[in-house]
Amino acid sequence: MTAIVTRQLSKHYPEVRALDGVSIALEEHRIHGLLGRNGAGKTTLMQLLTGQVFATDGTMEVLGASPVENADVLMQTCFIQESQKYPDTFRAIDVLRVAAGAYPNWDQAFADRLVDEFRLPVKRMIKKLSRGQLSAIGIVVGLASRAPLTFFDEPYLGLDAVARRMFYDRLLADFSEHPRTVVLSTHHIDEVANLLEHVIILDEGRVLLDADTDELHHAAMAVSGRAADVDAFLSDREVLERTVLGTLATATFTARAGDERAAREAGLDVSQVSLQALFVLLTTANAAAAEQPIGTRSATDVATS
Amino acid sequence: MRIRNVVQLHTVNKLQAFGWPLVIMLLSLTVVLIIGALVVNVAAAAGDGAQARAGMNMGMQWNGAIFALLGPLIGFGFTAMGQYFPLALGLGLTRREFATGTALVFAGNAAFYAVIITIGKVIEVATGGFGLGIRFFDTHFTGTGEWWQTLVQTFLLILSVMLVGAAITTAFHRWGQSFLWVFWIALAVVVLAFSAGLVLSEPFRGFAVDVGTMGWLPWMGVVALLGAVGAAVWLALVRRAQAR
Repeated sequence: MTAIVTRQLSKHYPEVRALDGVSIALEEHRIHGLLGRNGAGKTTLMQLLTGQVFATDGTMEVLGASPVENADVLMQTCFIQESQKYPDTFRAIDVLRVAAGAYPNWDQAFADRLVDEFRLPVKRMIKKLSRGQLSAIGIVVGLASRAPLTFFDEPYLGLDAVARRMFYDRLLADFSEHPRTVVLSTHHIDEVANLLEHVIILDEGRVLLDADTDELHHAAMAVSGRAADVDAFLSDREVLERTVLGTLATATFTARAGDERAAREAGLDVSQVSLQALFVLLTTANAAAAEQPIGTRSATDVATS
Repeated sequence: MRIRNVVQLHTVNKLQAFGWPLVIMLLSLTVVLIIGALVVNVAAAAGDGAQARAGMNMGMQWNGAIFALLGPLIGFGFTAMGQYFPLALGLGLTRREFATGTALVFAGNAAFYAVIITIGKVIEVATGGFGLGIRFFDTHFTGTGEWWQTLVQTFLLILSVMLVGAAITTAFHRWGQSFLWVFWIALAVVVLAFSAGLVLSEPFRGFAVDVGTMGWLPWMGVVALLGAVGAAVWLALVRRAQAR
């Protein structure tokens, strides 16, 4: 069953098309990665899906219905956003108390444990908390809410590496015990790569890539060796990136079946491309393609699926 | 409708919601009492304590010290939309739920503090201004008539100001800085026109005097009308308000 379906979803502001014709379908009970550069439209998409802003065009279904002013849907969704504003007079404990009342599946014991683990000073005024402690509030709410659909938008800004690791571990452990749909937006792509089952990359408000991470592991490949050998090997392949250093060259290309064996037979070293590297390549290639005049775009242009 | 969650959102920190406004009010009352006691004692030493009490009782009819309590309540209308609305949306509450719950909180706040002020007024009047002739609760801002008039007036005043504050903040939320420019320019034009009317037009001056001296009931009508306009604008705008 799909948890989220959008069709040609758009959100235009006077000076920018924050989201432009996005059509996606996210299956339930999976962890989806929503990736993109700053301003790609990730937060806007999540704000639309949680009814926080109104769409300019298109349709969307969240848990089988429109989320706009729909209490039945919204009480099953939890949206943790890095830019969440809190009242000046609030303490962390106030947020947790309100959240406990707002989410039907709230687990107070789990919340208390997370508060201890993230060392969150719950009785300190929120305006006196550090950026990382603010993020910890969101993480506690997002995990302890056990909402059937949880959005994390850059949930760990300011958190140290230990706390981020702890977040991944708790998310994965709790997800295993209480399966639900999680949409995670982040710039720490390599850190979450093993968590994600499905990835959507947005770029300039459009879907640049929509694929399962299993597929992506084999989507691209890097080869290195003598420049002449590399160039010969790449002659009929879709090159994403190529760098030359003296007589040596390294190239990343869209992989097809049998390419790994062929590269080794050509005397080249072969390595896998990480999700983060693939993300960088795709978004960079897309930006380069956008700058080329129409009609001159090469085969290296990124294809969306 | 998750009205209880919205009410909890506004009142979860009891000290902030109820404690501090009352503490600040009591501090303000204490300052007024100390000043009143000093004046009466100094006057009594000079042999005209009774005259000092009577003078203070007359002169303090426009004492604005009660705004130590009313001020934060006025601000509550603004913060409800400016600070609580984004969090309400973030917690998955709908705009309809937020508006209904917040309107209830406004009414509850207005009723609670109107009762507090009315009780204070009754005590103040019964004790002759706490034995000093001072006025803190029994002023024109809160009503110098019967106790029930103070109850009604204070309730309407607090509620209306909260609703107008929420409406202004929601409009700012929707149209941003350009709304503030239009609002302040329009307000300046109204004030300028009113001042010009007072200075330049005898009939307008007469009209202003008539309005200024009209009875308690018509004034309550004006306050209620302002509150109703604020409520209508707020409820109309909040339905399409978006997260910023």
